[in-house]
Amino acid sequence: MQPRRVGIVGVPPLSVIRKLNREQCLIVDLDEPQIRKSIELSSNYLPRVYCAILRTVVLNAMHLKLDTIYIDVGPGKCDCALHVAMVLDNILRIPVIKTRNLDDKPFGTSICRSGMPLLEKFRAITRAVSSDAAEAQLPPCAPVAGFWGVPPRDFSILSLFPDTTHIYGWTRCMENKTPANMELETYYNSDVPTVFFAQSFCAKTALAHHLARLHPRSLFLDCDVTAGNSARAKIEAFLELSGVTARRRIS
Amino acid sequence: MLLADFGTSYCKILDTESGQPPRIVATRDLEPEFCADLATGHNAGRRSRQSINELTALAWGGESLINEPDFVLLDCGSRDIKFIRYVDNRIIDMGWNAECGASMGFTIELLGKYYDLDFNTIPVPDSGFSITCGVLGMSNIFDAVVSGSTEIEAVAKFVRGIAMNGYRFAGSPEKLYLSGGLCDNPLFVGCFPCAVVRLGRFVLLEGLEECIRRNG
Repeated sequence: MQPRRVGIVGVPPLSVIRKLNREQCLIVDLDEPQIRKSIELSSNYLPRVYCAILRTVVLNAMHLKLDTIYIDVGPGKCDCALHVAMVLDNILRIPVIKTRNLDDKPFGTSICRSGMPLLEKFRAITRAVSSDAAEAQLPPCAPVAGFWGVPPRDFSILSLFPDTTHIYGWTRCMENKTPANMELETYYNSDVPTVFFAQSFCAKTALAHHLARLHPRSLFLDCDVTAGNSARAKIEAFLELSGVTARRRIS
Repeated sequence: MLLADFGTSYCKILDTESGQPPRIVATRDLEPEFCADLATGHNAGRRSRQSINELTALAWGGESLINEPDFVLLDCGSRDIKFIRYVDNRIIDMGWNAECGASMGFTIELLGKYYDLDFNTIPVPDSGFSITCGVLGMSNIFDAVVSGSTEIEAVAKFVRGIAMNGYRFAGSPEKLYLSGGLCDNPLFVGCFPCAVVRLGRFVLLEGLEECIRRNG
């Protein structure tokens, strides 16, 4: 018998993830690109000028064979997810179940503070959303830079950062399995140059902008579906001019 | 050492051992085999042995040329605009607009040639068009001419709109350091509603030289 294929949006409550794991469901993270199709196909149901993560959710849901979708619409996700839940419910013939994740038991943030390449850290954290178990604790490294924000739609920008970049913001809340923990989300490290990443049209853009203004060495970076040369150059220049990246040898 | 700032329309090239000033070559006229030792700009990765990105070059050039702890430096190129802002000798903000600020310098040069205009003689207009980029702004010119404006008046308003775009993009500072080829356009410079210090078109080359001094 085929396992049930269940799509998740955001970070559903641990009780839901436990249930799905117990039932040996195949969990598909709809926030991440799962299929090779143009995101423009989602524009039948969502405006083009809209959060790329939620456009990706709709694109995935349109094309994947799923049995159920759990979509978190509480304070741990965003109001837009509530609206997208209605869209999905109207266009799909499967149950679309709204959740409000208010979990407050901390699972730790060792991946965010580890010395793994930043891209690997993000992969590990997003992968762990489907798991109800605590991740193995990793040794922390001293940070030289910070990345604050949600996981970007385009992971390629992460390779521009040194391995000793710590993760802050909602991604840290994801690893901690407390996505509605505002205190943890708004925490940043004033001692390290930090990129405050905003996924264009995401409600958290305001928070990223505000915190970047408060941080003494920050870069507010707004990116839509893919990061262009301009965004990449801003990150490179910010890290270089902040003394984070290695001295170059001119010959 | 051969340094190059590969702009969209013009390349600025400096041979540090020649004792000569930098030379400007139209990008379309640059020899295909030309290769710099250190470069910045659109083609830097392809046409040089080592490259640094344009924001870094702009920042280092600004640091080298501007002897002030607080400043805003805006570079208006053919295709894009970028700025850096320093407070207490530290960079605190930067931006690079390659999309909505597109084709500013290129469009102004194109219009000057098309209408055969001398930007040295055109007075600064009292108001400008509200435009988002060079390409979209051109329709404002055509509309204004159809409505009875002279071509000179229409282009002047277009140029003012472009300058205001750059000014706002740089955070509307009281004093602005300006770099790029548009420093030589008095109409464009006069359209900024703030004090403007023109640094000319070799600021990114200065940034490359500063890079050598720091890392050589």
